Amino acid sequence: MKVNRNIKTYFLLSTFSGMKFTFFKMLKNLFNKKKMITLNYPEEKYKYSSRFKGTHVLTVKKDGSLRCTACMLCATNCPAQCIKITADEHKDSSVEKYPISYEIDILRCVYCGFCEEACPVDAIRMGPEWQTPDKNGSKFNYDIRYLAYRPQLKGGVESSLDDKERHSWGI
Amino acid sequence: MSGKNEDLISCSVNGKTISVPKNTSAIKAFKIAEQDIAHYCYHPGLSVAGCCRLCMIEIEGNPRTQIACNTMVTEGMKINNQSKQIKEDVQWGLDFHLLNHPLDCPICDQAGECGLQDQYMKFGQYKPDMNQKKVKKAKVVSLGEKIVLDSERCILCSRCVRFTDEVSKTHELGIFNRGDKSEVGTFNGKELNNDYALNTVDICPVGALTSKDFRFKQRVWYLKKAEAICTGCSTGCSIYLDYNEEGFFRVRPKPNEDNNSYWMCDEGRDLYQHLNKEKRLVKVYPSKKVSTSNFAVSSSSSSSSSSSSSSSKKAIKYLKSELENIKDSTKIGVLVTGQYSVEDYKEFFSVLKEKNSINQIYHWFDQKNSKNDFDDLLIRGDKNPNTKGLLEVAKDMSLKVIDSSELKNTASNLEILIVLGPEYKKFFSTIDEKLEYFKQALQVFYFSSVKLDSLDSISNVTQIPLQSLVERGGTYINYKGLKQKLSILPQVIPKILSFSQIAKVLNGEKIQLEPLFLKTQPVKDNQFSFQKN
Repeated sequence: MKVNRNIKTYFLLSTFSGMKFTFFKMLKNLFNKKKMITLNYPEEKYKYSSRFKGTHVLTVKKDGSLRCTACMLCATNCPAQCIKITADEHKDSSVEKYPISYEIDILRCVYCGFCEEACPVDAIRMGPEWQTPDKNGSKFNYDIRYLAYRPQLKGGVESSLDDKERHSWGI
Repeated sequence: MSGKNEDLISCSVNGKTISVPKNTSAIKAFKIAEQDIAHYCYHPGLSVAGCCRLCMIEIEGNPRTQIACNTMVTEGMKINNQSKQIKEDVQWGLDFHLLNHPLDCPICDQAGECGLQDQYMKFGQYKPDMNQKKVKKAKVVSLGEKIVLDSERCILCSRCVRFTDEVSKTHELGIFNRGDKSEVGTFNGKELNNDYALNTVDICPVGALTSKDFRFKQRVWYLKKAEAICTGCSTGCSIYLDYNEEGFFRVRPKPNEDNNSYWMCDEGRDLYQHLNKEKRLVKVYPSKKVSTSNFAVSSSSSSSSSSSSSSSKKAIKYLKSELENIKDSTKIGVLVTGQYSVEDYKEFFSVLKEKNSINQIYHWFDQKNSKNDFDDLLIRGDKNPNTKGLLEVAKDMSLKVIDSSELKNTASNLEILIVLGPEYKKFFSTIDEKLEYFKQALQVFYFSSVKLDSLDSISNVTQIPLQSLVERGGTYINYKGLKQKLSILPQVIPKILSFSQIAKVLNGEKIQLEPLFLKTQPVKDNQFSFQKN
């Protein structure tokens, strides 16, 4: 009994069985390249759904200004505590409150999407971008300029509901 | 009321039998019985208006539901608010309140401590049946220097109107128009600028009245509250200090039946500014007469805040050595204001008495003429929170209290003048006069938590930073002898000494400094960089 158990737990056996698996996979991949699962990443890229929840986008109103009202619900809801907002009073009394700075420390962000869920005015969304590598020491604190007006967004993403419409509907 | 049974009557609230004093309203009975009851317009410090119609109760033997705030409890009364009908009444009452209330919660400063939010979570029906358009009213109306009004958010509880009528008696506010067009506003040309105006912001159950000072600074759920005492005058109102890691943000009155009931003055609400870093004395400013070898501080290498403890330690050690050199106690002057706690005085005076056998102190008190002024509500002429405490301590230690105007004759004889300076310079009118005395003395050691810029120009003054009043804690005795204790809050500026630590250093003992709780510097940009090995 004891001997049998020792053979079973002997590590070489499992090593060989693992190598057998790897070897057959290699043969499979060599003769059938199309069914290969892995990608040659920098050259080949996987195409995700357009609804992929990647880098954040701050939406804008029809006039191009930020939709965000600086209610801080996203910052409150953020489990990584990576959102920092500074609010101020807007000159336009129909806007009243707006963010003078909105920063996301993207290295702390866990892409959970809670900010998007917490937002009562559709001001923050998770965009489809997922490749955000950068060099050492570059700025990983995304500010309003990047989040709302980066070149990839082509002038900003419009939010679905404006305050003006909301007021005209009487809600 | 003590033990006299004839003053108490018994009643039953939601099946719980309690005894309450006579002439108690039913809503107070609910509070005493610790039962939940919805209400807006009722405020314990104001008269009864009965306009929100939310505090509905059922009285046994009475077919109709009634409002609790305007019903007096009688002997053997059985009241409850648990029945289905009451619940529906409250739900519909709330729905009517919300009928014209805008969806402003994201930008409303009251969110998080809003009566409407809280009540709806507890008593609301969660299924709005209203689909009419909301009535639009004026937003962001300035009601003077301190307050902003948002008429849309107002639910017309009339608490603010009653406050200006009954408490401040200034009668600025009123409710205008009728029906769903009713609005709170000020009478023609008047502004809501009385000395107690900001109390209306506190009692407003919604975000209709907001303070210009606090507006949009912080969301309230980020703030912690601490109990403290306002040190703006000798009334010593109980207050809540709201703070978080970024500093102190506002002051609110804490209900205290013995002293300030539910209110405080607007002047006292600036208290938080003196606790934040911007107005504080953060490091030692040595006098220009002292040779730098004795007392190496504020050179370019040690100007950072981390060295402030060592430099203030050094400064106090220097003071100690100077004090030891002086044998004649009349050459040492101690000038104190009534702004420190009893414990502070005791610790400081006992060391000086032991080491240098001082037997007199100069009392810096500038409101001699207005000392007994009182505005019949809270504000008193004596702008020191602890004048009484100072005099008591001096009496206990048999120190002679001399008025500071005596310094005119004696200042030039003094070798060392130790000053426990004012914490709020705006309350001290004769600061320039005192500066003249400072110039006459040989050396001045000025202790304060607040920076006084005019001292920088005087060459013989050494300024030593102190912990602020909430960092020191201690007992304050107000005008009528009420002893109030301050709890100790975290430090804003690193490694600044308290009085007990100063006393220890003067005694030649070693001290331990506590680490800092608050953030001292703003969060920097991301400094992340990956390095191999």
